[in-house]
Amino acid sequence: MDKQKGRGRFVFFCVTPAVVLFVIFMIIPTLNIFRMSLYKWGGYSKTKKFVGFDNFIKLFQDPKFFQSFQNTLLLIVLVTVVTFAFSLVFAAILSREKIRGQNFFRVVFYIPNILSVVVISAIFSAIYDPNNGMLNSLLSLFRGGDAKPILWLGDQKIVIFSLAGAMVWQAIGYYMVMYMASMASIPESLYECASLEGASRIHQFFHITIPLIWTNIRTTLTFFIISSINLSFLFVKAMTSGGPDGSTEVFLSYMYKQAYTNSSYGYGMAIGAVVFIFSFALSAIVNAVTKREPLEF
Amino acid sequence: MKKVLSLILAGSLALSLVACGGAASSSAPAGSSAPAEGNKVLKVAAIETAYGSEMWKAVAKAFEASHEGVTVELVTDKNLEDVIGANMKAGDYPDVVHLATGRPAALTETLIKEDGLEDITDVLSMTVPGENVKVSDKIAGGFTDSSLTNPYGDGKTYMAPMFYSPCGLFYNVGLFEEKGWEVPKTWDEMWALGDKAKAEGIALFTYPTTGYFDAFFYALLYEVGGPEFFDRAMKYEEGIWQTEEAKAAFDIVAKLATYTDSTVPANANNDNFTKNQQLVLDNKALFMPNGTWVIGEMADAPHADGFQWGFTALPAVKEGGDSYSYTWFEQCWIPAEAQNKELAKEFIAYLYSDEAANLFANTKTKNDDGTEKLSGAIQPIKGFADTLEGDNKLFYAIYDNGAKAALGNFAATEAVEGVNMADTLFGTVNSLVSGDKTEDQWIADVTKVSDQLRAALK
Repeated sequence: MDKQKGRGRFVFFCVTPAVVLFVIFMIIPTLNIFRMSLYKWGGYSKTKKFVGFDNFIKLFQDPKFFQSFQNTLLLIVLVTVVTFAFSLVFAAILSREKIRGQNFFRVVFYIPNILSVVVISAIFSAIYDPNNGMLNSLLSLFRGGDAKPILWLGDQKIVIFSLAGAMVWQAIGYYMVMYMASMASIPESLYECASLEGASRIHQFFHITIPLIWTNIRTTLTFFIISSINLSFLFVKAMTSGGPDGSTEVFLSYMYKQAYTNSSYGYGMAIGAVVFIFSFALSAIVNAVTKREPLEF
Repeated sequence: MKKVLSLILAGSLALSLVACGGAASSSAPAGSSAPAEGNKVLKVAAIETAYGSEMWKAVAKAFEASHEGVTVELVTDKNLEDVIGANMKAGDYPDVVHLATGRPAALTETLIKEDGLEDITDVLSMTVPGENVKVSDKIAGGFTDSSLTNPYGDGKTYMAPMFYSPCGLFYNVGLFEEKGWEVPKTWDEMWALGDKAKAEGIALFTYPTTGYFDAFFYALLYEVGGPEFFDRAMKYEEGIWQTEEAKAAFDIVAKLATYTDSTVPANANNDNFTKNQQLVLDNKALFMPNGTWVIGEMADAPHADGFQWGFTALPAVKEGGDSYSYTWFEQCWIPAEAQNKELAKEFIAYLYSDEAANLFANTKTKNDDGTEKLSGAIQPIKGFADTLEGDNKLFYAIYDNGAKAALGNFAATEAVEGVNMADTLFGTVNSLVSGDKTEDQWIADVTKVSDQLRAALK
């Protein structure tokens, strides 16, 4: 009995600091965002006016918000699909096949992940440069030297895809390592058995590898959603400043712009609240849709 | 042993927490209790720009020397909003803030919109400390009449004008001499020059980012309609964007967009704008709108052979018309919540003394590469520009050479969610250059935003 009590106290003291920190730095600020979104406030002065749901009503009539919504959705879908496909295939190749320089490739793929987003943005700004950029120089081999340069960051129809390119390059290594980790735990015997039965490599990939790392894939899908929303802000800030003419504005960059540059802090918080609900809802949907009976080896 | 160790660790943790708490709370009582004694503390916060922070330190020291018992607590930072913003949110305000409008964090604009600035009209009738002149007699003409100092248009001054710099078009004198071209005096000559340059593979125009169109467009509005028209436009008058004058200004920018180097929008952002400026240094574009700081900004970039900076006001709309150069200046203000307002006003008055003006212009400042330069911030004091030398002399003499000074910007409004005049009026230029929007769409957008902001005028 006494031992039980002591154990309980021990657990209590172990957990308390984390809970306190979590409440102070996560729960309270989050609740604050929802509270602030009901005010008209510039963020610095003492004049705060309660306006109810006004900010949300305006938000749903704001074409620029919908543009940023569209851009964010496009980035989430595009970056997730492309990164997911590439990293899964690379992970399968690097963990299942015997190829020369395996470790070298593992390191190379992972390197973008340890670079800061600002560095990656600088690299891609140089690659996308209209006059001396690598991409246009390469393409001029096929298009001829006199062809008009493609404005990767200047053409409003292309620029969002240029951003997606940088984001995919940045993310592949990280997810590849996650998939490789869970692939490593699949028993070799399953593959041996399958190949004795005459299953091809591709067949094995779809019927053994993917089902057995399914829980891991589900987790990463949530990561994809959160990191696309977060990282797109950094890339936009460092590569295009939301331009040209607002064509790469995403959720968080638009929120920043409204909260600070446009002195509408309350409105910015309303955007924050919508982003919060949206990302939660999307993650929940993705989670529900991908639910399968967990397979065990 | 383990117990002792854990006790020590716990103790040091507790101590560090106490230390943190102490540091955070100690500054408030010092500020509030100070006026009772002879020892006053004045909290000054100033943005660190290309001029460096050394000059502010020198001015603070000089102010302390001439005001016994006063200690100036100076904060300077390149991202000043991040440093003072959090404290301001928590109710701890500096006494004097030097921070211009037009920054991304828009702290100054926010306070204007929320009546967070102290009325400093009486500073103008104060005597400059250490001199026998009134402040208003020292400040050069026009500086305290614009919406940049009197945001509410009620004749009251809320912001003191600081460091000014003429804006206009920068070009390479060497290239013009080599080709035998003349700097155009009217926009018609400008288009003619544009065609000539195009034949040689040189674009007429480039711009760093669309943000630089503010000074350009304001000066253009002065040219097409004079100061009175400019004022009406700045107050979002109904139908102002449909007038002939406005149409002339829109036409010029739209036409200029077709003469702009096509790669400019790709680099027109905060990280790559120097590539657009480089076009002028490489003789790939003739003109760019900019301020005098561009020379320092591009000092280390490669220059074409025979490159020499040239600077001109905007060409006139028609032969014999007025030519304008926008005067960009920074602002200094007192938060309405400041503790030491009287001393803060004294400090602002002091900023217009010859002593302070000299320190702002001539304090030795270290460059990033360790070399020394003079700070070079020019106070808007009558006759002060005559004492300048070198490049600066050329730039500041622009108003003596026939160009008129354009001053002011849009009137203050309440914040309107999702609506931003600068984004619409200037940001759209990128779309004009790339052909994504037409001039008519642009005018329609500007009119719509103008209507929305008019309803929120203060």
